[in-house]
Amino acid sequence: MRFIAKECVTQLCDSPGEENLLMHVPEGVKSQWHHIENLDLFFQRVYKLHQKNGFTCMLLGELFELIQLLFVVGFTLFLANCVDYDILFANKFVNHTNSSKVTLPDAFIPVDVCTARIRDNAFVMFVLLISGVFWLHRMVKFFYNVCCYWEIRSFYRNALKMSMSELPYATWQEVQARIVEIQKEHQICIHKKELSELDVYHRILRFKNYMVAMVNKSLLPVKFPLPVLGEYVFYTRGLKYNFELIFFWGPGSLFENEWSLKPEYKRGVNRHDLANKLASRILWIGIANLFLCPVILVWQILYAFFSYAEVIKREPGSLGARCWSLYGRCYLRHFNELDHELMSRLSKGYKAASKYMNCFLSPLLTVLAKNVAFFAGSMLAVLIAFTIYDEDVLAVEHVLSSITLLGVCITICRSFIPDEHMVFCPEQLLRVILAHIHYMPDHWQGNAHRSETRNQFSQLFQYKAVLILEELLSPVVTPIILIFCLRRKSLEIIDFFRNFTVEVVGVGDTCSFAQMDIRQHGHPAWMSEGKTEASIYQQAEDGKTELSLMHFAITNPHWQPPQETTHFLSQLKERVHREVAAGDTHHYSLSESEPRSLIANLLTGPSTLGSVHFARDASLANHAAAGLNDSASALRSLSPVSGSLSAVHKGHASSVSKAMAGSGTDARTVSSGSSAWEGQLTSLVLSEYASTEMSLHALYIHEFHKQQSRGELPRHTWHRQDSDESSESIPDEVRSEPPPRSRTLPRSYTFPTAAPSPSEIPKSASDTSTNTTGQEGTKSAADRRPDILGGGSKFVRTARVPMGGWADNNAAAPRYPEPLPEESSDDDLPPHIHKVT
Amino acid sequence: MWHCKPHNALRFCQTHFATPTARAMNCRSEVLEVTVEARQVEEAMLALLHTILLHRSTGKFHYKKEGTYSIGTVGTQDIDCDFIDFAFVRVSSEELDRVIRKAVAEFKDALSVSGSDGMGQISLEFYQKKKSRWPFADECIPWEVWSIKVNVVNLANEQERQICREKVGEKLGEKVINVVEVINRHEYLPKMPTQSEVDNVFDTSLKDVQPYLYKITYQITDSLGTSVSTTVRRLIKDTLAL
Repeated sequence: MRFIAKECVTQLCDSPGEENLLMHVPEGVKSQWHHIENLDLFFQRVYKLHQKNGFTCMLLGELFELIQLLFVVGFTLFLANCVDYDILFANKFVNHTNSSKVTLPDAFIPVDVCTARIRDNAFVMFVLLISGVFWLHRMVKFFYNVCCYWEIRSFYRNALKMSMSELPYATWQEVQARIVEIQKEHQICIHKKELSELDVYHRILRFKNYMVAMVNKSLLPVKFPLPVLGEYVFYTRGLKYNFELIFFWGPGSLFENEWSLKPEYKRGVNRHDLANKLASRILWIGIANLFLCPVILVWQILYAFFSYAEVIKREPGSLGARCWSLYGRCYLRHFNELDHELMSRLSKGYKAASKYMNCFLSPLLTVLAKNVAFFAGSMLAVLIAFTIYDEDVLAVEHVLSSITLLGVCITICRSFIPDEHMVFCPEQLLRVILAHIHYMPDHWQGNAHRSETRNQFSQLFQYKAVLILEELLSPVVTPIILIFCLRRKSLEIIDFFRNFTVEVVGVGDTCSFAQMDIRQHGHPAWMSEGKTEASIYQQAEDGKTELSLMHFAITNPHWQPPQETTHFLSQLKERVHREVAAGDTHHYSLSESEPRSLIANLLTGPSTLGSVHFARDASLANHAAAGLNDSASALRSLSPVSGSLSAVHKGHASSVSKAMAGSGTDARTVSSGSSAWEGQLTSLVLSEYASTEMSLHALYIHEFHKQQSRGELPRHTWHRQDSDESSESIPDEVRSEPPPRSRTLPRSYTFPTAAPSPSEIPKSASDTSTNTTGQEGTKSAADRRPDILGGGSKFVRTARVPMGGWADNNAAAPRYPEPLPEESSDDDLPPHIHKVT
Repeated sequence: MWHCKPHNALRFCQTHFATPTARAMNCRSEVLEVTVEARQVEEAMLALLHTILLHRSTGKFHYKKEGTYSIGTVGTQDIDCDFIDFAFVRVSSEELDRVIRKAVAEFKDALSVSGSDGMGQISLEFYQKKKSRWPFADECIPWEVWSIKVNVVNLANEQERQICREKVGEKLGEKVINVVEVINRHEYLPKMPTQSEVDNVFDTSLKDVQPYLYKITYQITDSLGTSVSTTVRRLIKDTLAL
């Protein structure tokens, strides 16, 4: 009984004659890319190299960063210590024999004096020391990276057959398609014959998906009620780094290595012990943070210098006054969304977002700014006039500086004065923003003009100055947050990681949300009604699962989702298609008109102006379709490709958007065989369509959701805008109270169905061979009840939290039917093994 | 502990062919669990390790010109166990047997010395060497790991020992079938190397047989925590990574 590799199965004869021997030809190891040890790191590097536009660019970029750092530190040091400012400002006279001119070298302090000065100053030495360490760290990193990325470079060249010069012009999807292709030949991953796009994404985004899910479920303490400022979001790089240190890779973290959670955390038995352990670890890390505060501060400044240089390079919008906050990026990110996808989406929304924020200039400030600008402007004008008349005016002390200062003053004032021609249309702007950012809390819709909405939006889209200030404060605030806020959540964190980790064959442990399984994590209020079996604890908030799924399917048209998911996707696409088509005919039949999208009006021109359409009492279909039409036309302006499309289809706006949605659907649903499309369009164009299509779908899903949640409160739906505001703001509060639960259809609806009965679990699990910790999930939510809720009597819900999953959850917990008989029986078993293929 | 309910005590003898807690990411991993008496440990381990190695060895390669090679012969040998009603087949290579015996003996000693209620795990790891360029050492990348978890029981009387003898024999028979099933799946194996690369794939140090490169490690307690050194290594690696 011998079973050897097929190459040598051939039986050998033992005869001495050599010619009788069977000869074999070795295949040899043609490439070194088979069977890569750490695929996570490998794919991350492949992605990074792609994002950095190839090896040379990356190398040079990093090299210059090193030099920049040296220059910045050196130059600052020089300016601070080695310049005699008295001479420079001519307060002191230098005695030159031949000329009266002061030269630059005169102002320099001699080298020996200078070094002595530096040596005596402890603070300067401290800063220098840290910068030195920082620089050395970066240099070692640089050399390490050169070695690592050299290998990735040869992977690109030899295995993927892409030269570095064409890399900047290849989309990630192309690179990924090649990786998937070569897996068949090289077997990069040995567990599977074929690699799916999702596998690659899972590996690159393993921890990011966890973070997104934790923010989605409001697990991370990033929102704080402050006395004066109200609810304040504080989430900085330092804090993020600490979170990652605690959860993912620091000493004693929850993860054993990059791809697997420690086994003890997968079991529910001693979760209290583990929570205590985690709590004490957080405490220690917090204390360490506190002690290292000054070091971190200097480090932070140095780091900020580089990271912002990087941000400015990558983000076109970042030169403006505002930027997307770190929290916003986490909140708006889909599951399985790579950095560049997120950034391009957010950058597209940047213009609309800043326009929206500019709508809210305070009238008081405007009046003040107008007057300040007036006075400053007149003085400036006079000074300039004088200068033009006789330039000796400039030589008078402080005239040049006052001209400069007045100029700056006027520029600042001007930013507080709204544009004369600007129209206040926040609702439409918010819709355009939504088309790009894809997520927003329910109560924003219809409340776009309110300052609360604006304030909450500013949590996502903050002033850059505030961002930098927060970063600088971060070393002090981070330990406080860690010690006083995160530590209390340790049990929830332990539960989260246990309940929402699945092991995927060939990928390792990933966040179960990132599987984007509607059945496991769908939210009934977000189109997955009837398909989802998730309890409230398991549902992703804000329709994250659904939107992420849509997004992933659209960005990766070749991805073959599991059966049910395909069904969901095709259904949704068909619906969007149909609604858009239907919207066309329904325009005219409706009674009450809503302020139409001005942008849409402008863009679509007179052809649609006549169509006075949609109203409150319209059916869901009509409304959604109408909204879709609106935004579709709005979008056309934003996307150059669809703009050209509209030129082709000159005619009715809806027909255009119909064509858009329709053709997009075709291109993707027929994923493999859409030769006509792929032949004509490069993938770049296709991805352009993809983002438009995704926007359409996002708007549709939101519209659908809005309609559905509005259906819950029939008394308000018939009223106009004014009363509607109240109705919109109510649901969140209402939902938190148990009695009206029966009315709040989508959430309460799931209760009986959500917690699967024990008999059902094995069956459904075997159906798709996906086995999650669903049972544990519901159970733990139920048995966690006493810990957090204190008997389930009180639930404090911070009003109008957009995604308050937890408070809701606790309220819900008492109603859970116990899905599993006993804890002990389950917990003794080894951790569940999930085979997801 | 035995309580005349052998089927219950041997409950853990079921094989879990599952993806276990991954030690290495890109690596197949199989787990076998056995419950045996102290004196049976050595033979049971030998039986399983030899069974696996039998299927993961080839004859010696003899490379010819034009990049072809022929494969030498491999003899097999039946071994009867003393303490178990069981016989297994192994490659008839004394050298290989000596190496395995040595590892198993060490494991057995460590097991008997430790007081950790007779739990232990011995792993047979097949790996591939990958030449790295200068600053890095050669990497050993495992592609298949067999972990055999051993649970040692103490038996009260001779009658129980007799039952155990039979039961363990039966279970080992099942295991061998399982091993063969796993090996029969067409899964990743290193490609047949050329002459220069043969050392990266096969262990060529033995005269009469050529197994894939393997490594036997054991672990006595169930502590799977990461050691300090790995944590430090990872810290360094993580800070270096972009």
